[in-house]
Amino acid sequence: MDWKLFADLAETAGGREVSVDVEPDATVGDALDALLSAYPELEDRVLDESGSLRDHINVLRNGENVHNAAGLETTLEAGDELALFPPVSGG
Amino acid sequence: MNALAIVGPGATPLVERLAPRLDGTVATVEPLPETASRDVSATASYGLSEDGSWIGAGEDRTLTDLLDSLSARYDYALVADYSRTRLPTVTVGDAETAGDVVYAVDDADAADVDALLDIVDAVDPYVTLDSLVARAKSSPRADRAGAIATFTGRVRARDAEDDSRTVRLEFEKYEGVAEEKMDAISRELEARDGVQKVLMYHRTGVIEDGEDIVFVVVLAGHRAEAFRTVEDGIDRLKDEVPIFKKETTVDEEFWVHDRA
Repeated sequence: MDWKLFADLAETAGGREVSVDVEPDATVGDALDALLSAYPELEDRVLDESGSLRDHINVLRNGENVHNAAGLETTLEAGDELALFPPVSGG
Repeated sequence: MNALAIVGPGATPLVERLAPRLDGTVATVEPLPETASRDVSATASYGLSEDGSWIGAGEDRTLTDLLDSLSARYDYALVADYSRTRLPTVTVGDAETAGDVVYAVDDADAADVDALLDIVDAVDPYVTLDSLVARAKSSPRADRAGAIATFTGRVRARDAEDDSRTVRLEFEKYEGVAEEKMDAISRELEARDGVQKVLMYHRTGVIEDGEDIVFVVVLAGHRAEAFRTVEDGIDRLKDEVPIFKKETTVDEEFWVHDRA
């Protein structure tokens, strides 16, 4: 599964596009766990003290915020594109 | 307007080979070997013929000024031998450029013109407030519109007297998704009564202090919905579109979302 990372998250991980291995029928949460195992330096930035996703961190699946689907429980399909980013700051 | 720079030996003849093959209006910009300054008192002089043809000469113009003034009027600009521009650039031989290299060739005569035509059609367009306003005016719904409201966001050097000066901003966007989001916002705003057309564009990469960053243009029946919609348009762009800003001041460099 491919993750796209942006802004300081890409700098912390040292790359803008990273691949992680997940089982078939994995969820977005599984792909996030795999990402944080491969890049543990991201964890503080992405998760709060209780291990939940920080409020201001966005997770998108195919351009749609997973909040609009089943959140981290959303099931992945082959070829999905996942994105992780901090609050937007355009303009 | 799609703009392409060509630098290196034979750049000017290559521009001249490319120009007639493009489908649309084309402006070419070539370097002058010496000053074009004239011993006259006017800052600019034009000669205009009744058939619409013209010549011009003047003072104090940068390449950016010139491209900005061409952007609303021409489909293409081909620029020969200005290596300091950040335009997408074709390099010939060992020529260097500040822009993104989109094609490199050892010898200008060997350049594949068909490939270059595809490249110039695919580059990110050179968008200015003027070019967006011109597009809004050419909308098929323009005859219902009595108002155009625009917003331009630019790099603010300082927010207060004692602020450390902002030198530049660098924007990164989620390619593809950012454009989809801006399109979706524009379509939603266009569904409002009296709003005929909404256009928005956000530049990316390095933008220096004083330069423009983002434009929103609203074509509407009357001023009230034009003002309201242009404000909502820039507010929603800033809240929703995946674009990220890194600020460099004279003292430090930081991601803006870390300071919000």
